[in-house]
Amino acid sequence: MQKIYLILSFVFTLLALVFSILPMDTIALLPIGLAIAFCLLTIRKSEENKVKIPKFLLTISVLCSVFVIGKTLLIKDEVVVDQTFEQQKIETKQEAKKDLEELEQLENDLE
Amino acid sequence: MKKIFLIITSVLLLCSFGTTTKSKIKSGEKLVYTGSYNMSGLMTQLAQVTMSTENVSTSKNNYLHLSCELATYSKWDKFFKIRDIYETYVDPITMKPALYKRSIDEGGYTKKEKYVFKNNTVTSTARKRNYPESVKKFTIKPTSIDAISILYQLRSVDFSKYKAGQTKSYTIVFDEKEIPVTLKYIGKETVNAGNLGKKECYKVSIGAKTDALKGQDKNLIWLTADDKKIPALMKFSIPVGTGQIALSSATGI
Repeated sequence: MQKIYLILSFVFTLLALVFSILPMDTIALLPIGLAIAFCLLTIRKSEENKVKIPKFLLTISVLCSVFVIGKTLLIKDEVVVDQTFEQQKIETKQEAKKDLEELEQLENDLE
Repeated sequence: MKKIFLIITSVLLLCSFGTTTKSKIKSGEKLVYTGSYNMSGLMTQLAQVTMSTENVSTSKNNYLHLSCELATYSKWDKFFKIRDIYETYVDPITMKPALYKRSIDEGGYTKKEKYVFKNNTVTSTARKRNYPESVKKFTIKPTSIDAISILYQLRSVDFSKYKAGQTKSYTIVFDEKEIPVTLKYIGKETVNAGNLGKKECYKVSIGAKTDALKGQDKNLIWLTADDKKIPALMKFSIPVGTGQIALSSATGI
């Protein structure tokens, strides 16, 4: 059982690391939570001289949680000014004006 | 991709109800929302939704340009970048659409659509990435409008005269077809409305005959219970999950 807990601790700590690095936002807290839980379980089930690895994994998971919570609290969500998108908005507006004038012309011709 | 498309479609459908009354919508209005999606039980902020209005004049007419932009937050851009524009040009008084345009770029998948409304006919032009342009002409009901103009029209509905459970049916044009939409007034509730503070709102449930929306009374919109009827909060439930769009700032109202 102790070995299974250790494997799960390792897997979830790895996932916690990957999710923390990727822009997964608070979703990263899921593998982090599981990693912490399995690390604590492993420490509890292990003999005193075999807790070095789960303690190390627990430290990584806790650091990941601090990193993710810090990112969530300190980094403000913002949209960057996208020049291509801004240009596209100008162009689409110009096209729309042309389309509306064509539509008005058609309506006039029918009248 | 399907997930993103469903979210955006449902958000638009969520707001797709209203009546054709005189417009109370002013030019220069800007509503900024935070779009969140429920990922594994956690509401995650994904994108900014900006709805704005502006007057546009041609040599013969004046139009109200209603635009709805969706852009992912910079932290998601490298992962899955979305830049969508949904816009319509309507008569400033009747709010009837003349031209509806949709330009989407979702993780590299692009699509452009243009609907020209003329009497009871719509001429649609669609261009998907790697596909040739397709043109379609179809007849619509006289009251059918596009998904964006109806989004603004709902703000002319006098919910103060509605009783809880009262319903009303409408039709919108979306994805080159007409979609019947039903709204149900639920009651009043106080919700957070961004820079407007806590506001008493009309809570309305949306139902549409489409696969995009799921569940009964799970697609909801809260409109401030005042003259402006600003959409303060929208919650949606779609086959791939749930999410919400919350007002963060309202200016020019």
